[in-house]
Amino acid sequence: MHNPIGEKRWLDIACADNLDQLKSAREREQRLLEDELASSPSDEAIVTLNELHDALIARVLMLAENDLARSGLGAPPVPYAYMLYGSGGRFEQTMHSDQDSGLVYADATNEAEEERNRIYFLKLAETAVEHLIAIGYPPCEGNVIASNPAWCMSLTEWAARIASWFAEPSWENVRYLLIAADGRAIWGDASLADRLRSRYFGDLLGHPVIERRMLENTLRHKVLVGVFGQLLTERYGENAGSLDIKYGAYIPMVNAFRLLAMRAGIRETSTLRRIDALREENLLDEEESVEAKEAFSLFLKLRLFTSVAVEDGYLVGTGKLPANKLTKEMIAPLKKALKTGNKIQRKVQKELQYRFGGR
Amino acid sequence: MLKKSLVSLGALLMLFPTVAFAEDPSPSQLNMGLDALWVMLAAILVLLMQGGFILLEAGSTRMKNAGHVAGKTIFTVGLASLVYWAVGYGIAFGGDASEALNKFIGIGNFFFSPANGVTDGSLPESVFFVFQLAFAAVSLSIAWGGFAERAKLSSYLIFTLFFVSVIYPVVAHWIWGGGWLAEDGAQDFAGSTVVHLTGAIGALAATILLKPRIGRFNKDGSANEILGHNQVFTALSVLILWVGWFGFNAGSTVAIGDGFFGFVAFNTQLGAAAGAVAALLISWLVNGKADITATLNGALAGLVAITASCAFVDPWAAVVIGLVAGVLVFFSAKFFEKMKIDDPIYALSVHGAAGIWGTLANGLFATEELSAKVGVGQAGLFAGGGWKQLWVQFESVVVAGGFAFVACFVVLWVVKQVIGFRVTEEQEIIGLDLSEHGNYGYPEQLKKAGNTTSV
Repeated sequence: MHNPIGEKRWLDIACADNLDQLKSAREREQRLLEDELASSPSDEAIVTLNELHDALIARVLMLAENDLARSGLGAPPVPYAYMLYGSGGRFEQTMHSDQDSGLVYADATNEAEEERNRIYFLKLAETAVEHLIAIGYPPCEGNVIASNPAWCMSLTEWAARIASWFAEPSWENVRYLLIAADGRAIWGDASLADRLRSRYFGDLLGHPVIERRMLENTLRHKVLVGVFGQLLTERYGENAGSLDIKYGAYIPMVNAFRLLAMRAGIRETSTLRRIDALREENLLDEEESVEAKEAFSLFLKLRLFTSVAVEDGYLVGTGKLPANKLTKEMIAPLKKALKTGNKIQRKVQKELQYRFGGR
Repeated sequence: MLKKSLVSLGALLMLFPTVAFAEDPSPSQLNMGLDALWVMLAAILVLLMQGGFILLEAGSTRMKNAGHVAGKTIFTVGLASLVYWAVGYGIAFGGDASEALNKFIGIGNFFFSPANGVTDGSLPESVFFVFQLAFAAVSLSIAWGGFAERAKLSSYLIFTLFFVSVIYPVVAHWIWGGGWLAEDGAQDFAGSTVVHLTGAIGALAATILLKPRIGRFNKDGSANEILGHNQVFTALSVLILWVGWFGFNAGSTVAIGDGFFGFVAFNTQLGAAAGAVAALLISWLVNGKADITATLNGALAGLVAITASCAFVDPWAAVVIGLVAGVLVFFSAKFFEKMKIDDPIYALSVHGAAGIWGTLANGLFATEELSAKVGVGQAGLFAGGGWKQLWVQFESVVVAGGFAFVACFVVLWVVKQVIGFRVTEEQEIIGLDLSEHGNYGYPEQLKKAGNTTSV
């Protein structure tokens, strides 16, 4: 992830000392990437785009820490990790991704310290979230965000929270577990995130039934390819003729491989790396993994061509690929990829049914 | 108690001696009475189909037009009855025209005054009139599908005058009243062409002249979905129409003595059932979701299609005709949408496309035996009858459809030029309930929204 060329490229971001500089750096770099992607969309460009986001978010946290120090709150009292969830957690952000984040900090030794930590880190998270909004990252609609006290907790609180989700796998709690599964530390002490992750996978082993609940939680997003191999495009409205790449192609595959990876105890959060790891564990055969990676890479690229809308003043991706981007050359590989997605969705369903003997 | 009963029975016998002492009715009187009873029952069923149309049209349109859509049907059924009595019936079934003229138009029985009873054992003409009038009203209500949500109330009035006096009766005369298509042997048992296609063609002419509703299509040509306000009404309407259709088809035997009406009803049920099943499945396969509107349209399309052929085909063919109709109506709706023709109630697809298919299906599936039994035309292509019947069916669709289109188009074009056909943009946006009638059909719901109206 941290290749030298990449780091050099983000030098001006790493040195930026105010939000305006960061915002203009983001706009400049995204424009360059847009040109690059329009001519030859490559896997590398998507990696670069995610490095750009990582660099920007990391710098924002540095600035936020400085702001807090300047305002008299001092340095972080204990180690912490700023977490990304959703597409950020999976290294799969687009040009217009929103913020899905959380914060975990080390445990305090007494109650007074605990209260101090809580105040400090909530303030830090609020500052960071506001800064990120200022440079064009809209907040998460579902309120999965570090500035929400429910996603900004000490390690012990986090562990208890995750355990409570496992203990009572309601629809909402299973959704939280699925979100947490894609979390990774982007700034701070990564070992905190690792410890959280170990707890998570430990709990998972103790609750095998949760996999089935997770499957049910994600099945409603179907791959948008019909029985005759036809694309199931939007029929009405502004987006008529467009294909919902996000929920009709990308998300179903993310869900399927997350589930397969978690069953195998694979801790990667990126979908492509999950596929690689599944291949190494021999849970996918060579053909399956090649097909899956090809299909998923295509969806990642097409996601960058999806249309953008302005919502509440933010640029937001609609996740829908406009009809005019569905060119003749594009349709054949897209259909093939969608069929692969369909196959994988069915494979996951079948394996879980086999394991639990159906309903 | 017993004594009391005997006394009152005796008193009744004194008052109504005929009950006890009349001669037994003759077999022909009995036959006539039973036939007449069946046809009257069928007429009532067909008239009740207007209830289906009220719910179908209201359920498929928006709340702000509901009172207008529902109420205007009652008005036009009333007006149609007067017009059909004065003129329409005579043009369809009048017997006074010369032989040459009768090929094209009937004359006689205007301001129809039927005998108050019969003695010769034939079906009372009054019963036949009520039955035929109900058909004319159905055809008219089908045409309203093309007017929905944007036509002026006055245009409904004028169109009713012309449609029920001339346009519909002429087509009915050609095929059922001894006109030239009847002479050619055109098979249309209960009116796939006469009733459904003619009505649908009226809807087509109207919707072309009116242009789509505000907000139905975008500038780039893509369509928006204007959902009806109550899918439960729409579903219930389909059931009412389905039940009413037994009067429509099985009643068209106008006799019960040979039990043939049962066979016709049997085929009708199979056609409707196949249409509903096929439409749900095809929408599921093509769109990835099983569409309720498509399913409801499929049932109706099956009914429309089997209307022409219910007396001429074997049960297996009724199933095939229904299945094809269900698939056809789904793609037809897509086609009209692509052509940017706004068809709010799907009249063009359900009654037009399925009506054409049902009429042509006779040319494919009609059997020798049943054609001889009904006494119209001959066997179709797949029953070994060759191409002749298919050609006659095709001819009747083209000629009847062509005539109806030209006639309806001219009437509505003149309306458009002289008094205007469509309400103003403002009226359309606030809804016809308010603009044409002064009150909302759903006052609480719509007044609550204040002045904000949705398109």
